[in-house]
Amino acid sequence: MRAVALLALAGIWGAAAWSLWQSVVPGDLTLPDVRLNGIPPETLDLADRYERFFRIEFVAAQLVLLGVLVAYAKYGIRFAKESAAGRIGTGMLLGMIGLALVWLSQVPFRLAEVWWDRRYDQTDSGYVETLFANWFELGAEFLFVCFALLIVMALAGRFPRRWWLGAAPVFVGLAFLFGFIYPYLTPTDRLDRADLQAAGREYAAEQGIDPIPLRVEDVTDFTSAPNAYAVGFGPSKRVVFWNTLLDGSFGDDEVKTVLAHELGHHSSNHLFEGVAWYALFALPGAWLIALATRRRGGMANPAAVPLSLLVIVVLDLLSLPVYNVISRHMEQEADWKALESTHEPEPAKSLFREFTIQSLNDPDPPTWSYVLFDSHPSVEKRIAMAEAWRQRRAK
Amino acid sequence: MSDHPVRLVLRDDLRRSRLTVFFRLLLAIPHFFWLFLWTIGVVFAAIAGWLAALVTRRLPDGIHSFLAAYVRYVTHLGAYLSLAANPYPSFNAQPYPLDVELPRPALQARWKIAVRLLLAVPTLLLAATLGSGFGFGGYSGAGGDGGSGAQWATSTGVGGVALVCAFFGWFAALALGRMPVGLRNLSAYGLGYTAQAYAYALLLTDRYPNADPDAIGPVWELPGHPVRLELADDGRRSRLTVFFRLLLSMPHFVWLALWSVAAFLAAIANGLVALIRGRSANSLHRFLAAYVRYYAHVTAFVALVANPFPGFTGEPGYPVDIVVDAPERQNRWITLFRVFLAIPAFVISGALSAALFVVALLGWFAALVTGRMPTGLRNLGAYCVRYLAQTNAYWFVVTEAYPHASPALRPPPEPEPELEPEPGIDAVDEPEAN
Repeated sequence: MRAVALLALAGIWGAAAWSLWQSVVPGDLTLPDVRLNGIPPETLDLADRYERFFRIEFVAAQLVLLGVLVAYAKYGIRFAKESAAGRIGTGMLLGMIGLALVWLSQVPFRLAEVWWDRRYDQTDSGYVETLFANWFELGAEFLFVCFALLIVMALAGRFPRRWWLGAAPVFVGLAFLFGFIYPYLTPTDRLDRADLQAAGREYAAEQGIDPIPLRVEDVTDFTSAPNAYAVGFGPSKRVVFWNTLLDGSFGDDEVKTVLAHELGHHSSNHLFEGVAWYALFALPGAWLIALATRRRGGMANPAAVPLSLLVIVVLDLLSLPVYNVISRHMEQEADWKALESTHEPEPAKSLFREFTIQSLNDPDPPTWSYVLFDSHPSVEKRIAMAEAWRQRRAK
Repeated sequence: MSDHPVRLVLRDDLRRSRLTVFFRLLLAIPHFFWLFLWTIGVVFAAIAGWLAALVTRRLPDGIHSFLAAYVRYVTHLGAYLSLAANPYPSFNAQPYPLDVELPRPALQARWKIAVRLLLAVPTLLLAATLGSGFGFGGYSGAGGDGGSGAQWATSTGVGGVALVCAFFGWFAALALGRMPVGLRNLSAYGLGYTAQAYAYALLLTDRYPNADPDAIGPVWELPGHPVRLELADDGRRSRLTVFFRLLLSMPHFVWLALWSVAAFLAAIANGLVALIRGRSANSLHRFLAAYVRYYAHVTAFVALVANPFPGFTGEPGYPVDIVVDAPERQNRWITLFRVFLAIPAFVISGALSAALFVVALLGWFAALVTGRMPTGLRNLGAYCVRYLAQTNAYWFVVTEAYPHASPALRPPPEPEPELEPEPGIDAVDEPEAN
């Protein structure tokens, strides 16, 4: 009976995943071999060196993180004596201390990243600024950890073995809520460009959605890299450009390609699909946490909190390649929709080349790195897709 | 009692002349000029004394006397202006009802002399929030960085606690002809600490100032109060939780904000009940008492006055705890005008909050290095927590007892009961004092 129920659940999970995996990118699309014309060889070398550092740094940072969390899982309960806050309050304290230790362990790596970015003119941020500028965000993370532990430990106190069944939907709901309110939390200005506003309306109509507000975010304080993103649900939907994308370094057609790409995310419901994917992984993830912490008395017991942090980070690392596959799949679909909206593959190609030149994105990273780290298709693959679209249209 | 070499001596009887109180600032004008001139002299004397002390390890007798007189004079003037004492002070630091005793010149460690100005920064920072701020320019001058006159002019606005006491004391003394004992004691404490800070900065002693209210001056009077402090902290601090103390407090800030809204509404209801029945409703009293305790726990945790992460329900048992007595009858007039009556307590609470901030700031560095909170800072912080809790309790109609500003943590111990004369020994009548 139990096996049947498990099979049924797996079937439902598979059907949901299959449904979310559907894409407008033609299934028979083959990407042609393309040359990275227009990118100077020295830039390719530079991009390779630049990104190689981050790969090594990422691996080292994760090893240190795991080491810290393993030690914390073993000895973290000692900090319970610093609490007079009862079961859930002590759990919160242990969760926050775990986060604090994680933060501390990553400080050298963050500083190394800034050092490397400064070497390659990718940021003007100072070291002190790097350490102290994000305390507000860190405070928000502390609050989130407390809130999450409040939910989990309260449920686990009532349902010691089945808390995960209730907790997973709550966290999915919270993810949805956060996705909805995020645009209101980030300070942005209305995009004051009539041509882009007109293009936005045109592409939205072409993609079968209502016009979406276009906003600009000032990021000059912490980066010079160009970017844009789609965000929000329903009335909070936005396309936000970083002002670094609109400073004249990119041509109007290239910026319009970015706009069409971000609208492609909205018209494909990628933000909603992202939450749906999260929901598919949240339930088994919460179950695994419940299983792993059972020997520590379960999540109702503060002693299990340090171990649960380790389990979460391990699950997060293990799911990273899967997350990247899903993300690349969505980005590919948004690229295709952008090409279908603009009908202009050349600005798309030059845009992706420019990303390599300006942001030093390695256009053709090693496979292991691509699988582990890259949430977007490589520049080479994106240029190849633009070329494939052109060839298809030419037939 | 303190064994600190700079001792506060208090012989004030609380009586005030209404006329001199009314014109106190104007009467002090000659002293401002004299202080300005004296401060200029102190700048040069302090530099000379510092150089001499670097060589001989002690201040020359003449310079020591000159600087000691200056510290005493600044204290007298501060006491006069903050209404902590009544008589017009002399211009040459003659004995005064609120005075300080300073030590004789003694040998000091050279390295401490060399970096004295740096070492004195934290204590001068705390003195600026506790004292009247007068004479702060004297410190600047002692550092040899000049501009003491201009800094003196601005520094008169620096002092927090003593100035607030002076402000409210002015009205009280005009009305009653007496200075309220709590305000006088708080002013005296601030001035005593400030004198210790100046004496340290000016090389009159190498003993670091002690902020402990129990260690400055006499045993402070503190009448019984239905909202009391219970201190069971051992001074030990976890360095990790100290480093991240503000971030760790985030959930408490959110919860406290939510609870404050509910407490505010409950206080309105409690006030109405107290107006009608003449006493609080038990359920509202319990709810508001828990809020008062929780507020105190969170404040103590954030300001490093206590170590453990507090609970979210205001349960008793925290190392820095507040005891709230059961509801009692409350005067309806006091309840009706509570909003206005609470204003002085709020303003004093504001000044003490500034002091608590400095306590937290200095304590943060100290606890990170030593793993302990200095007892003096901890006790000053605990006193601030006690006053803030009493203010909250008063404002939320938990009690009609007004917050007591006297810088004591707990009422002084009861005197030992007199022993009955043993049989066979004749009691000797003492002559009556006149």
